[in-house]
Amino acid sequence: MKFLTTNFLKCSVQSCDTSNDNFPLAYDGSKCQLEQDESIEFNPEFLVNVLDRVEWPAVLQVASDLGNTSLPPNKPVFEDNNALTEDDMAILRDLHTLLIQTSIVEGEMKCKNCGHTYYIKNSIPNLLLPPHLV
Amino acid sequence: MLATPYVKFDYEKVYEPAEDSFLLLDSLEKDQSYLAKRFHDQLAVVCELGPGSGIVTTFMMQNKMPSQNAIYFALDINPWAIQATEDTAKRNDCDRIYLEPIQSNLTSSLRHSEVDVLLFNPPYVPAETIPDIPETKDDIDTWLDLALVGGENGMKITQLVLDNLNSTLTANGVAYILFCARNKPEEIVKSMTSLWNIELVEHRKAGWEVLSVYRFSRKTI
Repeated sequence: MKFLTTNFLKCSVQSCDTSNDNFPLAYDGSKCQLEQDESIEFNPEFLVNVLDRVEWPAVLQVASDLGNTSLPPNKPVFEDNNALTEDDMAILRDLHTLLIQTSIVEGEMKCKNCGHTYYIKNSIPNLLLPPHLV
Repeated sequence: MLATPYVKFDYEKVYEPAEDSFLLLDSLEKDQSYLAKRFHDQLAVVCELGPGSGIVTTFMMQNKMPSQNAIYFALDINPWAIQATEDTAKRNDCDRIYLEPIQSNLTSSLRHSEVDVLLFNPPYVPAETIPDIPETKDDIDTWLDLALVGGENGMKITQLVLDNLNSTLTANGVAYILFCARNKPEEIVKSMTSLWNIELVEHRKAGWEVLSVYRFSRKTI
């Protein structure tokens, strides 16, 4: 599962929807196995659009869960998307490495509200609930 | 006419692409420029529910719909469908595109208001009951049943998706949903028109079934 996907996944338990703690899920850094997947090429325009959309505090949270605390506290903004500077490109390249190429191949994550644990196996996140929680 | 993705999988485990799948592809092809205009180059989150073989999501990826700035989520309860969707994407040279297959019961695992394009070819066959989700991957008959049967009027699963449409889609989001005549789509459309623009995109007689694809978008943005 690509890092960026963590920005879209919440707890599947319906009653957690009224809580602010159902997103992002809390990733267990000691159990998450990361790999770099380079199949998707760097595309600055795509990445600027992705960045526009992401919830930055959740990116920070998950990155820190996985042991990366080097991200800027505020979402990077670009003055002119049509004239990206060298510095902009360097930032975008780093974000491409993190958001698109970093993949959790095995791991687990928990809802901060109900505590339910979900698993990632063979890069596939499983967000199905056991019958008693549906 | 756009090419149909090449699909090859074990159809005892996932739904084999059929008339309904092709009608959905034709509807999306018909709406290709509509979708391109609606989303321009903004990031579009495309989410297919119950991708089965993965033919529809792969078609979207192959044709860069709605634009090349899109990411694709394919959500299925059936682990075989997750595998088939990955397989079909690779088989059609889509492995350089952002695709995330997720094992999930409909949209329950997705943050609210994040889907720009929702695609759903539901289990729409009327049946008295819908089986429980199997406990093992090997219970292939039940997995396949879940891809087909939709309870009363064949609408039980589709209705869940319609009930959550407002919290699923972004403000500008659209949904393409397939119905068969026994789902009574005209009645559904009538009951939803106060809040939704609903357009019939394609309809076709397929054997003894009449299938239709409707596009849903919000009345006010």
